[in-house]
Amino acid sequence: MLYLSFIVILPLSMIVVNTLSMSWGEFFETITHPRAVASYKLSFGSALAAGLINVIFGTIIAWVLIRYDFPGKKIIDGLVDLPFALPTAVAGIALTTLYAPSGWIGKFFDFKISYTPLGIVIALTFIGLPFVVRTVQPVLQNLGREVEEASASLGANRFQTFVKVILPELYPAMITGFSLAFSRSLGEYGSVVFIAGNMPMKTEITPLIIMTKLEQYDYVGATAIAVVMLVGSFIILLFINLIQWRMNRKFNY
Amino acid sequence: MTKPLDVDRKMPIVKKAVSNPYPLKESAIVKWSLITISLLYISLFLILPLISIFVTALEKGWETYVASIVHPDALAAIKLTITVALIVVPLNAVFGIAAAWLITKFTFRGKNLLVTLIDLPFAVSPVIAGLIFILLFGAQGLFGDWLFEHDIKIVFALPGIILATLFVTFPFVARELIPLMQTQGITEEEASISLGASGWKTFFYVTLPNIKWGLLYGLILCNARAIGEFGAVSVVSGHIRGETNTMPLHIEILYNEYQFTAAFAVASIMSILAILTIIIKHIASWKAKEF
Amino acid sequence: MGIQIKNVSKSFGSVKVLKDISVDIKSGELIALLGPSGSGKTTLLRILAGLEGLDEGTILFDGEDITNVSPKERKIGFVFQHYALFRHMNVFENVAYGLKVRPRKTRPSKKEIERKVNELLSLVKLENFQDRYPSQLSGGQRQRVALARALAVEPKVLLLDEPFGALDAKVRKELRRWLRQLHNEFHVTSIFVTHDQEEALDVADRIIVMNNGKIEQIGTPDEVYENPKSPFVYDFLGNVNIFRGRLQNGKLKQGQFEINAPHYLDSHDDAVGYARPHDILIEKEQVDNETVPAKISFIHIVGPTARIELKREDNGEYLEAELPKEQFKNLQIQKGEVVYVRPKQLKVFIPEDFSI
Repeated sequence: MLYLSFIVILPLSMIVVNTLSMSWGEFFETITHPRAVASYKLSFGSALAAGLINVIFGTIIAWVLIRYDFPGKKIIDGLVDLPFALPTAVAGIALTTLYAPSGWIGKFFDFKISYTPLGIVIALTFIGLPFVVRTVQPVLQNLGREVEEASASLGANRFQTFVKVILPELYPAMITGFSLAFSRSLGEYGSVVFIAGNMPMKTEITPLIIMTKLEQYDYVGATAIAVVMLVGSFIILLFINLIQWRMNRKFNY
Repeated sequence: MTKPLDVDRKMPIVKKAVSNPYPLKESAIVKWSLITISLLYISLFLILPLISIFVTALEKGWETYVASIVHPDALAAIKLTITVALIVVPLNAVFGIAAAWLITKFTFRGKNLLVTLIDLPFAVSPVIAGLIFILLFGAQGLFGDWLFEHDIKIVFALPGIILATLFVTFPFVARELIPLMQTQGITEEEASISLGASGWKTFFYVTLPNIKWGLLYGLILCNARAIGEFGAVSVVSGHIRGETNTMPLHIEILYNEYQFTAAFAVASIMSILAILTIIIKHIASWKAKEF
Repeated sequence: MGIQIKNVSKSFGSVKVLKDISVDIKSGELIALLGPSGSGKTTLLRILAGLEGLDEGTILFDGEDITNVSPKERKIGFVFQHYALFRHMNVFENVAYGLKVRPRKTRPSKKEIERKVNELLSLVKLENFQDRYPSQLSGGQRQRVALARALAVEPKVLLLDEPFGALDAKVRKELRRWLRQLHNEFHVTSIFVTHDQEEALDVADRIIVMNNGKIEQIGTPDEVYENPKSPFVYDFLGNVNIFRGRLQNGKLKQGQFEINAPHYLDSHDDAVGYARPHDILIEKEQVDNETVPAKISFIHIVGPTARIELKREDNGEYLEAELPKEQFKNLQIQKGEVVYVRPKQLKVFIPEDFSI
């Protein structure tokens, strides 16, 4: 327990202590600075977009991996874990190079991907993919064939069975996966700094603002922004948990 | 009823049992388009980036590649990263086992709080994780003056990097073990103790063999993150070349100095480690399922 | 609807689970598919439902070949062992599902669906539960919802896979009676799978006894119980005592013991005689050679019957006898006493490929 306090609780409480040393006016001014506000929108928006993309494609991938057989399936299954295993900085430089205007993928598009918000979304999509796949996969695996058979015996076609029977069973896992991916994306730094381009007001994410303030030895300012991030992600997670709790209430056998 | 039975006995079964295809399975078109979508998505986001790392690293030939890796700064970064991992992983392993043991085999007040606290580092941005250690041990920090007087350096030095990495990788082992030990319950431990084994013996002969694959799984993820952590370490390291630069930080510096080949060369080593991680992880999870 | 199953075979991989099965089921019958696990009974039921394909053979519903028809077009109702209720839907939505998923042209109006569901819910006595979710129901209630759901589509055939298997003994009995009543009311052809012989004997019009992917016997409960066609059926339906011996001149002999076996006048093989515990008489004196001496090792009286366990004096095998309490009292026997056991009715089989 001492270990836990030393590594986690004590350091985190410093945020509170340091914020208290600020006056309310100072605090408010720091966190509502236009650059900061723009970064909140960007961080939140791109994390949301990446989360949604991953929920859709992550669920499809989980489905394909559980239900179908095809050559190379085991390799694909393993590759899904790549974002967990690959250092974020490595992912960052690789994605940036690929999606840069002269990169392998970037050159097929006449608009810029790297160094734009779109690039940030791509980096965050990379980071978040395994969260969705790995939460949906076991649920799909354990989903009894019986309910599908019941649906078919009652006259439903495959599409109806999927939408009305299978999908509702997956919602809780999809939401969990989304919230994991989302909260990871919100704070993600390593993979994003390279691809973002870091232009103030345009492609500057909130963790980068904290970083910049730290480099200027503005510890108080950095802490203030950190508080906004912590409170923000706390509220979002609370909200997601609330939805889940409401769904689970009627759900569990 | 009149069909001769011996025919059935002798004939090998060639025909494959075909389930009624229409209502219980998707049509082939749907199936293959879903597979194609998945493969495309994974190629775009996972496979191509991985390939590009190696291609870019070797773009200027083996000599440049080797030169970038044996560069003193690169070697120092590799050494530092290994040191950090060697300290962080065992510490978190011990804690993870202890915490999971505590949570699954005993009941006590504040258990839920403990579970939440263990998860907390996952919810905190790595940059904030770095920040809090600056606030504690930095020059203006809580212990800043005291540390300065005693000439102890934590921030912008190895201890800071280790602390930040500890924080970030804190949940991995415990997270992996808690559900595993929960499903296993405590009956085997009770049996062992009832047969006269001591607490430690019970742990080594009963608990540990049961959780070894789950433990390995947690350790490997913990290790991957410890090696690759960027945000938190970046805040506390101070970026002193050859001294406080871990491999990811070294990659960043090279990249920002437009030494792309060198950056990707170091990155390729880390990618190989990542691939190894995935392979070990999958072996561990297969083995864990066999139980 | 009448069902004809013709020469159906099915394998999973290299395991033959159904070997050339043929059965005729008349319209309105209530049939039990009885057998131990692995006998193929569930597979046969699933093939009838179209949930499983078959390797060989045909299935006719009212003379029409439906072997390759999908389950949704077979007009069947299927009740699963573990209910398979949709847990994110409440009771009403579960029952209404089969009607709601119909194509627009044949789908009843909302009001019609509501009326129909309410009717079914009152039939299964769950009118007040329509807003509950499956997780809020007991096992018996869940199974009733599953039945109502299956009946909602007005099936021509009702198929039930171990419908009471997951319920406790009391609820089981209740639901069993209720299924019987339901069937009397609707007369829909019904087939249920069970491994519980009591359940099959209690509920079904006819029983199909299966073993190892083959049909052992088809008949009314009385027929299968009183006249088992094979040792397997004898053994599976109820307790049984075994008398081993050798056939000689139409008699089964073992040592002193010999008893008439009129079916086997010309055989001289080893054979086994079967007798149910209630077909065993206990006598205090030896009158003839059709009895064996045995020592009473245990007496257990439950309600109106006395169960007596005996150990044969000659070969040490155990026998079990069941007699009415009155008769037991008149006999005045005690534990440890040696008595003479007479099989009142002995069915003799020559062992072929079975072993007990």
